[in-house]
Amino acid sequence: VIAVGEDPSASTVPPTTSAGSRTNTLTFDEEAKLVYGVILSLRNMIKKLSRRDEQFTSYRTSTYRLHLYETLSGYKFVMLSDPSTDGLRFVLRQIYSGPFVDYVARNPLVSMDSREQGIDNEYFRASVDRMIRGLSVFA
Amino acid sequence: MATPSKQYKAIGEDLWKSRTEKVNAELFALTYGALVVQLIQDYEDYGEVNKQLEKMGYNIGTRLIEDFLARSSVGRCSDFREVGEVVAKVGFKSFLNITPTVTHPPPTSRPTSVQRQTSVPNSSFTLTLDENPLAEFVELPEEALEGGLWFSNVLCGVLRGALEMVQMQVQVEFLSDVLRGDETTELRVTLLKYLEEEVPMGDE
Repeated sequence: VIAVGEDPSASTVPPTTSAGSRTNTLTFDEEAKLVYGVILSLRNMIKKLSRRDEQFTSYRTSTYRLHLYETLSGYKFVMLSDPSTDGLRFVLRQIYSGPFVDYVARNPLVSMDSREQGIDNEYFRASVDRMIRGLSVFA
Repeated sequence: MATPSKQYKAIGEDLWKSRTEKVNAELFALTYGALVVQLIQDYEDYGEVNKQLEKMGYNIGTRLIEDFLARSSVGRCSDFREVGEVVAKVGFKSFLNITPTVTHPPPTSRPTSVQRQTSVPNSSFTLTLDENPLAEFVELPEEALEGGLWFSNVLCGVLRGALEMVQMQVQVEFLSDVLRGDETTELRVTLLKYLEEEVPMGDE
């Protein structure tokens, strides 16, 4: 499980149920940037198509499903999972109100501005890892 | 207003009660007092101390808002008036267990411009604190009074930091303080502008 903060998002690599490992031709940073770009574009498109309150929550392709939880403060939590998984937005919300608030917001030594550097922290990783492994959807 | 103020009061009350870790009020007041005293010794200039307190508050506020958003189910406020209500009834209540009174200025009549309270940067509200847990046992000495110290200036920073994280740029200042001999302790929060989300990656 890798936790990286992006401005402002945190993404967790999929608890995928498939046997094969993902071949990453991109580095994590590059991938994170692409994901952020996709999310921003989709969000802007949805805002234009519908009313202001509607939020883009997830999308599915043939190989993965992306879940997004965005806070009012602009932090974006992204999770990539197996396409057959049900909505995991509530998990992202739990990550936000649990490990994120506890180990990132409440730790004054962790910078919350993820422009320069991702938000990464041992306790944060460990508790997110624990939380994800405890989920029923995790293989 | 989407939610009546009674509901905000209830939410604030719930949040305060559900918070399991509370700190001793005396310890809190003493810690804050020690902080201010140290700043005064270090900077020797009350104006500078005010600034530092505000800066500290700003850093606290940018993080406190996450705690607040994570625990309360309050959605985005529809106008600045609602912001005042939420700050007073839910924010202050859930963290300090006090509910300051919110007063909104009467709508000014400006014949030349069309006024919409939401977006025109003249929106403001005033918070009147009946009690201040930061200054429980405090009495300001002569020189602090003359020097213009705002003892609880950290609160201004907290509000500024927290509201900036939810895309509002505000100016917060003390109007009066009972520690200074005034009748009431008042904070004025003025909306400067709404902030657009910044796109960090300029190259793509």
